[in-house]
Amino acid sequence: MNPTISGIPVEYILILACIVFTIGVAGVLFRRSAVVIFMSVELILNSVNLVFVTFSKALQQVQGEVIVFFVMAIAAAEAAIGLALVVAIQRRKKTSFVDEMNLMKW
Amino acid sequence: MVGIFDHPQLLLFFVFSGVLIAGALGVVFHPNPISSAVLLVLAFFALAGIYAVLGSVFVATMQVLVYAGAIMVLVVFVLMLLSLHDDGISKLWKHPAKKFFLLFFVAILGIVLTNAVREGVPNSQSPAHGYSSSGEYEYSIAAENGGLSKPKTVRGNTAVVGASMFLDYLLPFEVLSVLLLAAVLGAVILGKKNLGKKPGEGDL
Repeated sequence: MNPTISGIPVEYILILACIVFTIGVAGVLFRRSAVVIFMSVELILNSVNLVFVTFSKALQQVQGEVIVFFVMAIAAAEAAIGLALVVAIQRRKKTSFVDEMNLMKW
Repeated sequence: MVGIFDHPQLLLFFVFSGVLIAGALGVVFHPNPISSAVLLVLAFFALAGIYAVLGSVFVATMQVLVYAGAIMVLVVFVLMLLSLHDDGISKLWKHPAKKFFLLFFVAILGIVLTNAVREGVPNSQSPAHGYSSSGEYEYSIAAENGGLSKPKTVRGNTAVVGASMFLDYLLPFEVLSVLLLAAVLGAVILGKKNLGKKPGEGDL
């Protein structure tokens, strides 16, 4: 099998995916606005997609590229539900900042 | 080590990677959420470029259509609906325990990364699926009815991915359609005005 994909070593792409994943996690941890947190989750999902495509090409199995479309559909459903939740909470609590939502604290 | 001059794709990969990382950092650290959304679109386009360089053209197209198009329109729409003032980095940044755990995870990530780079990625020796022996996209569809119809072979990225999705993964595909329907219904219900509020009752 080939350790490079059209001249690009697999390791480079995996490191790139790791970096993007870490940036996404940092966004989830450090931002206050719920919508920006959703955008960071999209970054995380995209880094996972990149890993799927990379291994699909490296192992020459087309299934990885199929699963990418499933992940995209899940991301679309998550965006629809999540953003609807944000709008609903915004209507009630007049804020979209997650550190001001203390509904489930005891 | 692979030289840039042997493989011009490597240069493209580095350019797209730089744009992607810069865009992702911008999403997280830009104080204005609208600018974050625009930078996220930039990151999505760069990622589509990386997919194209890797040779997965169909995934690259869908990345632009679905992510940079549909999902980002939704996000920007909600951003416009909400308050627009600056957000800033969270106060959680000052929390010492969270800082400690972040550094901890970054250290583990660094160890795993250096290990993976030193040892390389193991490649499985399982028979290829969706690829011909020469490494091109190719998918053979078996004959039906005991050989009444001839076996077919499809070629090309889009055709092979589509054939695999609708032949190997038909059940997950249908389950996903049900999930999307449920998501749409849930979004409509959540978007109703008086959610969980009895008439005459005040705000929570």
